[in-house]
Amino acid sequence: MKQFISCLLLCCSLSVVAQNDNNFVKEHFIKMDTMIPMRDGIKLYTIIYMPKDNSVTYPFLMERTPYSSAPYGDTNYSKRIGPNPTLMKEKYIFVYQDVRGRYMSEGVNLEVTPYIASKKSKKDVDESSDTYDTVDWLLKNIKNNNGRVGLYGISYPGFYATASLPGAHPAIRAVSPQAPISDEFAGDDVNHNGAFFLMDNFNFMNYFGKDRKGPVKDYGAQVFSFNTKDMYDFFLRLGPVKNTQSEKYFNNKSTIWNEYLQHDTYDEYWKSRNIRNHLKNITIPTLVVGGWFDAEDLFGALKTYQTIEKGSPKNNNFLVMGPWTHGAWESKEWKQFATHDFESNTSKYFQDSLEASFFNYYLKDKGSFSASEATVFETGSNKWTSYPSWPPANVVQTEFYLNDHQKISTNKETTGFDEYVSDPNKPVPYTNGFYGSRNNDYMAEDQRFASMRPDVLSYETEELSEDLTLTGEITAELQVSITGTDADFIVKLIDVLPQNEPNFKNAPRGFQMAGYQRLVRAEVMRGKFRNSLEKPEAFLPGVVTQVKFNLNDVAHTFKKGHKLMIQVQSSWFPLVDRNPQQFMYIAAAEAHDFKKATIRLYHDAEHKSKITLPIQKK
Amino acid sequence: MQRFMIFLLCITGTYFSSAQNGDSAWFRNNYTKVEKYIPMRDGVKLFTTFYIPNDQSEKHPFLMVRTPYSCYPYGENSFANYWTSFRFAYIKENYIMVTQDVRGRYMSEGKFEDVRPFIKDKKTSKDIDEASDTWDTVDWMLKNINNNNGQVGVVGTSYPGFYATEAALSGHPAIKAVSPQAPVTDWFIGDDFHHKGVFFAMDGFFFYSSFGKPHPIPTKDYGEGYTPTIKDNYAFFLKAGALKNLSAMIGDSIAFWHELMKHPNYDAWWKARNARNGIFNVKPAMLWVGGLFDAEDCWGAWNSYKACESQSPQTNSRIVMGPWYHGQWSREGSFLGNVRFGSNTSAYYQQQIEIPFFNYYLKNKGNVDAISEANIFFSGENKWKTFSSWPPASVQNKILILEDKNHLRFADDKSSKIKPEKNTGNSFYEYTSDPAHPVPYTEGVQTDRTREYMTDDQRFASSRTDVLSFEMDELSKDLTLAGPVIADLVTSISTTDADFVVKLIDVFPDTFNYSNNEVGNGKEYPMGGYQMLVRAEIMRGKFRNSFERPETFIPGKPYHVKFELPDVAHTFKKGHRLMIQVQSSWFPLADRNPQQFMNIYEANDADFIKSDVRIHHAESNQTTFILPVMP
Repeated sequence: MKQFISCLLLCCSLSVVAQNDNNFVKEHFIKMDTMIPMRDGIKLYTIIYMPKDNSVTYPFLMERTPYSSAPYGDTNYSKRIGPNPTLMKEKYIFVYQDVRGRYMSEGVNLEVTPYIASKKSKKDVDESSDTYDTVDWLLKNIKNNNGRVGLYGISYPGFYATASLPGAHPAIRAVSPQAPISDEFAGDDVNHNGAFFLMDNFNFMNYFGKDRKGPVKDYGAQVFSFNTKDMYDFFLRLGPVKNTQSEKYFNNKSTIWNEYLQHDTYDEYWKSRNIRNHLKNITIPTLVVGGWFDAEDLFGALKTYQTIEKGSPKNNNFLVMGPWTHGAWESKEWKQFATHDFESNTSKYFQDSLEASFFNYYLKDKGSFSASEATVFETGSNKWTSYPSWPPANVVQTEFYLNDHQKISTNKETTGFDEYVSDPNKPVPYTNGFYGSRNNDYMAEDQRFASMRPDVLSYETEELSEDLTLTGEITAELQVSITGTDADFIVKLIDVLPQNEPNFKNAPRGFQMAGYQRLVRAEVMRGKFRNSLEKPEAFLPGVVTQVKFNLNDVAHTFKKGHKLMIQVQSSWFPLVDRNPQQFMYIAAAEAHDFKKATIRLYHDAEHKSKITLPIQKK
Repeated sequence: MQRFMIFLLCITGTYFSSAQNGDSAWFRNNYTKVEKYIPMRDGVKLFTTFYIPNDQSEKHPFLMVRTPYSCYPYGENSFANYWTSFRFAYIKENYIMVTQDVRGRYMSEGKFEDVRPFIKDKKTSKDIDEASDTWDTVDWMLKNINNNNGQVGVVGTSYPGFYATEAALSGHPAIKAVSPQAPVTDWFIGDDFHHKGVFFAMDGFFFYSSFGKPHPIPTKDYGEGYTPTIKDNYAFFLKAGALKNLSAMIGDSIAFWHELMKHPNYDAWWKARNARNGIFNVKPAMLWVGGLFDAEDCWGAWNSYKACESQSPQTNSRIVMGPWYHGQWSREGSFLGNVRFGSNTSAYYQQQIEIPFFNYYLKNKGNVDAISEANIFFSGENKWKTFSSWPPASVQNKILILEDKNHLRFADDKSSKIKPEKNTGNSFYEYTSDPAHPVPYTEGVQTDRTREYMTDDQRFASSRTDVLSFEMDELSKDLTLAGPVIADLVTSISTTDADFVVKLIDVFPDTFNYSNNEVGNGKEYPMGGYQMLVRAEIMRGKFRNSFERPETFIPGKPYHVKFELPDVAHTFKKGHRLMIQVQSSWFPLADRNPQQFMNIYEANDADFIKSDVRIHHAESNQTTFILPVMP
């Protein structure tokens, strides 16, 4: 299946390469590399592409990045600059900056730098002050600017875009945080509801988590070398998370990795890194962008938008959510993903109609920006929809009750319970098949491989008699008892395709679209955090306990004739590290601490497990 | 199962694909087709098709297939597509090719009976069986088809393999050579529809929904079988639930299905349908052929040959077993699924074994000196080996002990790196077998039963909580197995019945890769760490002591469940690991056990309950496996 899909993607990416664009930057821009001093004397490496044409003034459009602003050197030009080709041709003064402590910049890098609300001295620096100082310098030192600055960035750079907002320099007039990291304990990248995203971070920190002694153009070899064709097998053999610190792997050589393992609750380390706490009274227009299939920072996009909206209700704050993986909106073409066919080029639409218009309007007073509050691609029906608010107002929160016989419905009359044995040594795979890196498609993958397992519970509606559209957040409220003192709970929302769904031509053996159980949304909750991410609580074995948590928003239509399915399981491996199923500091757990547990999910008269779905009114 | 049907209807496969047009024209120009009704001793007439060479320069032998799948195409101007098969070689040799619809099938008269019992002492002309029908047919054609050399060969694969066995039992002196290939032999113990009393519901249901249709008068077309509304056979059979429900779905007209449902145990009815009953005093030269990875009749090939050896020792009998799916020896034989065999094993069989065999016994041409008693392909090392007996005399049955830490060790091996802990009185592995979530027999979503599952990667099963995986140390030298494997599980269960599936698996090294010059299926697959299924078998626990008289389990009490897996011919290469998996379902290949002692064919949906299954490995309750090791 993987080959089949990547073939589709390859076709997409090859089709739009335009040869004659290769020299555009060199022909139209002058490049300058410079070190910009911050208030504490630390200098940040900054690359500036200035339009050659001096007949008009230009705004700045800046990306601050921990991933290097290469190519370095006045004569080494990037082939593509700016957030998208349309904006590149529109011409801005494009600025790239290595953030503090990364690559060629001086100073010390902090993981998702905490914001200092009340800065007392010049030594109190953060990303907001670094952005401020950079903007200040740019306005004074770069000729021919129009006095306005825009910021954008995807993922980690998305965080830096967000971080420019509190205490912003007045020249900053438009910011687009895209898949921004917002809270790495609650929902982005590192942890979801306190459950550690082992595979992604292990791979990422092998590169990103390498410490440096001073400015470098190249961090050199990764912390350790490793290679596998089967991540599930690799991590299972690796054993407890503590083994990642063995001589073969991190070996305590990565500061950030050490921090991750050390901070296993929502403590000051994580709270101080939650930029959402500081997004109040924002007056800078913001365009928050995210992807429904973003495995990294879907949470960050939705929550950044939501927090700005709440803390700054009058602000021009816009949300764009498309059918994208992490950053896919910057690709030339994005018409398909996994088995989805979106029937239009969704990334091109975003770049031209939303992103370019946004910056042109707010930084150049050019044209208009008429986007609605929320521009959202609805999966399932494959259409863009605009809403005056997000989540939309015309939504009825509807409770669906899990019941016997693998049923789920709005009928409150329920009985019984289901149970399974969750064995940390046989965790439920997050994807089907062998992958040497995370299978991006997992967010829309067929879940039948899981339905067949005895440690996965599935609940299904009848065939829908009419289309059912969900817009907004989903709440799972499980009534459980466990034989251990901790357990994870993964809830998956699934669209079950009908039996008349045609199969792909030349589909490989074992691939069948009829009855496909397409994942729409999933989330994990580490049980001990069910009441508080700060103060984990053990379960009392055998005692019925409520585990309530939210799944990130969806905009999805379950078509008539489809079925809606909910799955519940207690591992999602190796996406998420294994829970020893004992209440403990998991990063210290030994192999023998990982215990089988029987998980019971109740749906009797007194203990109803339910899923609350945001259903659009017709 | 549809594939199974299509395969049989085509007679054979597509090995020779070149020069088809030329060959088909040559066939038409040099052969004459004749269709005849041949009267049997009881007056019933069987529809028979003859392709007769125009050549008169010498007398020609007959090569006959008796089939329940039709001697399609009908009509003397319609020629069967022999030119797509390696058996076109026989046409080039001017054989008289004969195909007959067996009694009661397609255009033949009479009443069809599945695996019709062999009548040892026939008393009147009413005592007919497939052997007597063959005798009568041979007798007629020797007299009525001109220019024959008086020698008859019979060949057939699968169900026609059964008819080939029966032909050999007819004792007609003109029948000189018979090759039963993947012959249906015993449908309760090991072929097609039951393995060790476990009903192979998926194959049975789809096969019988068309094959079992009543046709009281001759017909050229049996029509379509059941078309499932769910294109995922796991989901289809899970939703269908108890066998009762399948009986309702297949309808009242499918008599044999309902007959099966009346015989849950190995009773007299089943015993009469054991093709081995008649294998005594066999006169023709026999060439038993089968596939090591034949999902249907691997058991039948091995065990018909063995019955012939023990019950008819004077017979000139040989066996060929290659690394094949059902009938693959007539097709491309370089790979099956992801596993490659390093050469076209089918071509070897066709050119070096079958064609010389028939040419020698029917035409007195060439010799059969190169065809040994047993001609067996060993997967793993990918080599043909020949033996003067099977299993080879040099084989030693070695005991493999299950230890803690999921470890397996030969009882006589003192060098194992992993030292077992002192086993306490109740050391065991445990899983919950849930009939609502049975272990799939294969990965992915399948509409038809795959034939590749027999060599498929078992990693999909290893990650399940209801599958136990046990491994030996990495092998420091090649380990070759030749013969049947015996599983001797010591188990206790929390209910009164359970199934036990034992899978013998070759775990490839993490770095394993096939070389580019080995022909494969053209699909990328990560072969490093591949868990190749070598052999698997299922045992219905209640039959552990007797297939005739099932016995309940007392919950919690340990029992030996000892059973034989069909013969293996495989080399676990140095650097590989030998793995054994144990599980309690294999769905929807095998029907689900309600895990309560009862007549499963009468079980209701509510009878299917979870069972906690323990596999013991304490010294006093030691689970072992017996492997046939080549020195």
